[in-house]
Amino acid sequence: MEPIHLYTQRKSWISQIDPLSKLLFAFVSIFMTYLFSSITITCFVLLISIVLLMVARVLKKIVPLLAISFTLLLSIIIVQGLTHPTNETPLLTIGSIVFYQEGLTFAFLITLRVFNMLAAFGVLILTTKPDDLMESLMKQGMSPKISYVFLSVFQLIPQMRATLGKITDAQRSRGMETEGSLMIRIKAFFPLIGPVVLSSLNMTKERAIALEVRGFSSKGKKTFLIEEKSYFYPKFIKCVLVTLLIAAIVWRIVG
Amino acid sequence: MKNKGIWSLNFSTIVIALIPIAVAINYLGKVIIETLKLPLWLDSIGTVISSMLAGPLIGAFTGLINNIIYGFTLSPISFVYAVTSVVIGLGVGIMAHKGWIASIGKAIVIGLVVGLLAAIVSTPLNMMFWEGTTGNIWGDAFYLYLASIGMPQWIASFGDSVVVDVPDKVITVLIGYLIYRSLPKNLIHLFKNNNEIEKL
Repeated sequence: MEPIHLYTQRKSWISQIDPLSKLLFAFVSIFMTYLFSSITITCFVLLISIVLLMVARVLKKIVPLLAISFTLLLSIIIVQGLTHPTNETPLLTIGSIVFYQEGLTFAFLITLRVFNMLAAFGVLILTTKPDDLMESLMKQGMSPKISYVFLSVFQLIPQMRATLGKITDAQRSRGMETEGSLMIRIKAFFPLIGPVVLSSLNMTKERAIALEVRGFSSKGKKTFLIEEKSYFYPKFIKCVLVTLLIAAIVWRIVG
Repeated sequence: MKNKGIWSLNFSTIVIALIPIAVAINYLGKVIIETLKLPLWLDSIGTVISSMLAGPLIGAFTGLINNIIYGFTLSPISFVYAVTSVVIGLGVGIMAHKGWIASIGKAIVIGLVVGLLAAIVSTPLNMMFWEGTTGNIWGDAFYLYLASIGMPQWIASFGDSVVVDVPDKVITVLIGYLIYRSLPKNLIHLFKNNNEIEKL
């Protein structure tokens, strides 16, 4: 069964960094690009994210993420180029359609911000195993129940996708059509979603019993099975990030 | 310790087991839509069902976890819309417990209300992060139309979100309702008196 998370195991010093620091980095990086409406600063922040992705050797993995956001970016460029409130200087005329310089410059800034959002979170999600992130959060006091909910999704989806495959085959063998006109395809939706939901909701009871048998809601102190990983100066990195953030805010207010 | 009302955040084991399954249903709904190539999203069927079964807070939590998981597996853009998912869970849960899941007509009303709520919450997010567009072709075409007749940016953005969210949420809630209605009664009661299973 194919895992659904985007983490790939690569040896680099980015994977030696504490998941929480990477999470903080993503927030600080995205916040910076929205704090300053400056293309130069946004470019610089984006460059840092890209360098980090390169160091982590996962730069190629970011491309599919960019592809998903393609329509969002395209519509931002068209809509802002045509209608942004500050539009004054015509730049490009296609027939009766006029693209304005102000709007397109603004669209460029937003595009950079979206790229940075993807790249900065990419540093976290492409180099961190979800299990490690949850473990770090639990050590910070997050409830293990939340961590269970989160991690079991990663197990469940591939498993349920296999069930969906079986259901699709079964319904097809009974004559359900999955191709053809829109009406035929809409009709096929219910015989697929119905059994999937029923079989999975039935599973909740079994899973709850299985959890209880293992003392899931016992009040005792939880211990960790996996040996603690040692990360690269977690406190130092977090301090640097927080200092940068405060410095940026001060600079924005003063400057 | 029977039914403690709709605002009890009771993380009993059965509810804990429900949340990941609801998120997986969201995901599979999306997979089915993609296999059948239908022009819809319908990626919150699980959230809607979990709200109907276990109340608004659990529905909201399902929505939150759902978008975090999407952020980790599909696109980080989903993190932005986590608030919208939370509101969908809350809206459906509250209306369901006020007795609005009684007929198809009422379910459509839930869908309309939740769709509008989702649009109200999404608009400031869209304005803040990408100056008002949603990235959906129909919605953004409507934005262009509204902007071209001289509407202010935030009204155009709200119109954009309404066009995207309302039809989708109406259909999602309707499907959620049809599934909920056909669930076996013992399954529904499992979540209503949700302390049963802990006493094993």
